[in-house]
Amino acid sequence: MSGSSNVGMHVDHDLHDDPEKLAEFESRVADGHLIEHDDWMPDAYRKGMLKMAEHHANSEIIGALPEGEWITRAPSLRRKLALTAKVQDEVGHGQMLYRVSQDLGKSRDDMLRDLITGKTKYHNVFNYPAPTWGDIAMIQWLIDGAAIMNQKTLADGAFGPYVRTMKRINMEEAFHFKSGEDMVLTLMSGTPRQKKMAQDAFDRWWYPSLMFFGPPDKPDAENLPPMKWRMKTVKNDELRQRFVDRFAPAALDLGFVINVVEKDADGLVVAKRPDEQLRQDETTGHYAFTEPDWEEFYRVIRGGGPCNRQRLALRRLSYEQGQWVRRAILQGQAGLPPAA
Amino acid sequence: MPAARAATEDTAMTELDDATRHALCDLLLAIADDKLMLGHRNSDWTGLGPILEEDIAFSSIAQDEIAHAQALYEFVGRLAGTTADALAFGRSPDAYRCAAVVERSDDNDWAIALARQLFCDHLDQLRLQRLSNSSYAPIAALARRLAAEEQVHVEHADGWVRRLGSGTDESRQRMQAALDTLAPLSASLLEAVADQATLEANGVYPPLDPPMTATWCAKLTTLVDDAGLHLACPESAPNTPGGRRGVHTPEFPSILDEMCEVYRIEPDAAW
Repeated sequence: MSGSSNVGMHVDHDLHDDPEKLAEFESRVADGHLIEHDDWMPDAYRKGMLKMAEHHANSEIIGALPEGEWITRAPSLRRKLALTAKVQDEVGHGQMLYRVSQDLGKSRDDMLRDLITGKTKYHNVFNYPAPTWGDIAMIQWLIDGAAIMNQKTLADGAFGPYVRTMKRINMEEAFHFKSGEDMVLTLMSGTPRQKKMAQDAFDRWWYPSLMFFGPPDKPDAENLPPMKWRMKTVKNDELRQRFVDRFAPAALDLGFVINVVEKDADGLVVAKRPDEQLRQDETTGHYAFTEPDWEEFYRVIRGGGPCNRQRLALRRLSYEQGQWVRRAILQGQAGLPPAA
Repeated sequence: MPAARAATEDTAMTELDDATRHALCDLLLAIADDKLMLGHRNSDWTGLGPILEEDIAFSSIAQDEIAHAQALYEFVGRLAGTTADALAFGRSPDAYRCAAVVERSDDNDWAIALARQLFCDHLDQLRLQRLSNSSYAPIAALARRLAAEEQVHVEHADGWVRRLGSGTDESRQRMQAALDTLAPLSASLLEAVADQATLEANGVYPPLDPPMTATWCAKLTTLVDDAGLHLACPESAPNTPGGRRGVHTPEFPSILDEMCEVYRIEPDAAW
């Protein structure tokens, strides 16, 4: 589900890179060739791609947690099966991305340990709570929708193993998105209580969805290494606008309130849901919107979000409780059957 | 389920007399409720398994269990005039027919989860084998379809018991402790449903030769011995009424409360 837009990327080549090799590498990238893990690449590129793939893998397995909490409460057999399969897919994406990262030189166990000890990060969006079934619908619709938008552009990148993994993941994400759309449509066609559940969840997830694409771009982002080396191919702000242009009208079609200011009898504003500026500009065709609260974004990244502790604690528990099983496999006689 | 197959089953449903139909519904609910609770418990491991690859495998098995339960509920639904979701989510606790062993929490202990799966998979395989030979063709057709997947579950559980039995001292101790804890409770799986004798006499649920319980114990004991572990396999059901008669463990209502939390908000709504 995740995408890697909010991984902090400060990538640049260093002076020790062989200038001829660097020039050849950059010209291959510019010509649209794929770079493989055993090709020559600047050290900063290898480290940057590892950081990006590892962050993405971490996000997948942490992303399994908020939705995983609702498997046991899914309200029909069909939804229970679909949600279990969906969360299982996220774990599968994590597995594929850890394999990509392993090929870049870091062991899986080191990555899992760095995740739970806070040395590495995962996507910010998973630090928000999912208090109702409506949130599960909204995660699959808005967040998976955002992930597809982002990951389609990552699939145009230059690092072969990551690009191929993105293509596979995107196919599965398309199912998740369809499932989310169906869940949202069902709630919005349902009883008043179901509609309210969906609207409340929409209001909660709108801004985390906008933040999903990462902070505003640095000036001259196109010419800095992450984009110059096609680790990513589209700027954060451009993706964010694409998302708003796609999902604001879709939300209106489904019956959501997107830009309402509620006032009490004295004319005092009691609620703005979720963004009073969210409306189409008739001349440009684009939807205007209020920028997310970037202070909140950085506060959550630093660990101050509503669920940071809870997510890491559960991941740590799972790691600790599984240690004896992993030791049994590594030291035992029978071993695992060969991978398919 | 393809429409043609469902239509065949519907046509044949009229052939059962009332007593047989009631007894068969009870039996299928026992199997389905076991599978639903097992799948429910095991699906909770999705995202938290001890190894990513096994997380994915165990989740697939949980999904199979829930899907088997769904197929059986749909079958019962056609016999009893209700829906699969109403059966899964809409009954009072005493109307469920699951066994105590699937109601037990695994306390986040992978060995307990695995042992629970082991006892259930081996029994499911035999129950489905019996139903595959049923004189009632529609249930025989469904059971044969489910049995093919059940075989994979058995191989998975067996493989893990062997692996942990031959792993480290710690894995041997943990697997042994889990078998010791769950073996007495697994007797709950052997309890017969009301009027099961009717189904055995008229061939709807034909007995096995040698009998099912003996085969179950023999297979489990051979496997566990082979893994270097020990099993005191129960040879009969407890003497007091249990899950098959609607008598459940004290924790069962709270499992249902969690499972039905959203469904109960609007039981008649589409979700």
